[in-house]
Amino acid sequence: MEFSLLAAALLGVALALLTLRVERIRKITDRTDLIDLVLGSAVVGLVIGRVAAMVLQGTNPFTHPLDLFLVRGGVDTGFASLGALGYLSWAARKDLWQTVDLIAPAALAGLGGWHAGCLMRGTCAGVATTLPWAIHDGTVGRHPVELYAAAALLLGAITLVMVRKRLPSGVPALLALGLAGGVRLATEPLRVGFGSNPAPWYLAAVVVGVLGTMIRVKAHRSRNISGS
Amino acid sequence: MRHTLIFGLLVSLLLAGCARNPTTAQSDPLPTISPDDFTALLDGSDVPVVVNIWASWCGPCRSQAPLLRQAAETYGSEIRFIGIDVNDTQDGASAFLEQYGLDFEQYSDPRSSISTALRSTGVPHTFFFAPGGELRFAHHGIIDERTLAVRLDDLLR
Repeated sequence: MEFSLLAAALLGVALALLTLRVERIRKITDRTDLIDLVLGSAVVGLVIGRVAAMVLQGTNPFTHPLDLFLVRGGVDTGFASLGALGYLSWAARKDLWQTVDLIAPAALAGLGGWHAGCLMRGTCAGVATTLPWAIHDGTVGRHPVELYAAAALLLGAITLVMVRKRLPSGVPALLALGLAGGVRLATEPLRVGFGSNPAPWYLAAVVVGVLGTMIRVKAHRSRNISGS
Repeated sequence: MRHTLIFGLLVSLLLAGCARNPTTAQSDPLPTISPDDFTALLDGSDVPVVVNIWASWCGPCRSQAPLLRQAAETYGSEIRFIGIDVNDTQDGASAFLEQYGLDFEQYSDPRSSISTALRSTGVPHTFFFAPGGELRFAHHGIIDERTLAVRLDDLLR
């Protein structure tokens, strides 16, 4: 039985929960339902992404229901993200922007932890390189591309925790979405792969994040001007 | 809550409808190969060889079958892909190959003699051989796209 995937997922969840804990210590929020929302979004995203991957691979979920648990067989990134965001939007519909802003740094930290979990899975290697920090997995040195992504996401989470109070409502969440997509998009050329091309999904996240941020900032400024 | 359940059910049905249904096998039975012939095949190959041990009753094999098909389509001109179907029925194997469109070289190994010779401990198990038959890597369990791509890239260097 292969438990390294589970270990990577647990590392991601642990970092997300740690970030939420830090937020509570810093008295940014006293809400206790955020952990449930993060875990719920992760589970819903995982299930929808796995079902989508099975269907796209040609396996009927009803004739092979137990294959749903073979997460290592593939989880479709785009559908998983849509599922997680959809669940979050539904579960936090009463105060959507405030909630997603609070969760945004934890989500980035969780993603960073998931990528750093490549160290346990042995899947950090990307395209070949002769750079001094290359990891040697096989015959040549390779970019530790998943560690690049992990570092960028964790840095983004820390930055967001520090600056969030100064940002208009909704902007932290949209920045986090754009950053998550941007990091994956920027590191994609350093990954080795064939067949699947998730770049359009990442590009869509960047576009939504950037455009949404611009709209929210403009609306915030308009309110301030009309208020004064 | 009821609306959510109904919506979830509808989405599931729609998704299931998109899946390909299992088809009845019409193809010829898979050939068998002895361990000695198989070793000779590996030793005599002037291109890298990827050997995948699988069975139609194996869930993880179903999950990775589309990936192997894509890999064979992408790298088939540079790397020889071979499937070894173990402890299986010919009907089950043929239906599996047809459902997932696996049209690369396949052998039946009803007594697991090839997988025993490779010291395979279960399915799926994927072996990566350099030209001349030197074993470079072995991966037990489902292999993901990134890992497979890195292994194939290594074989071609």
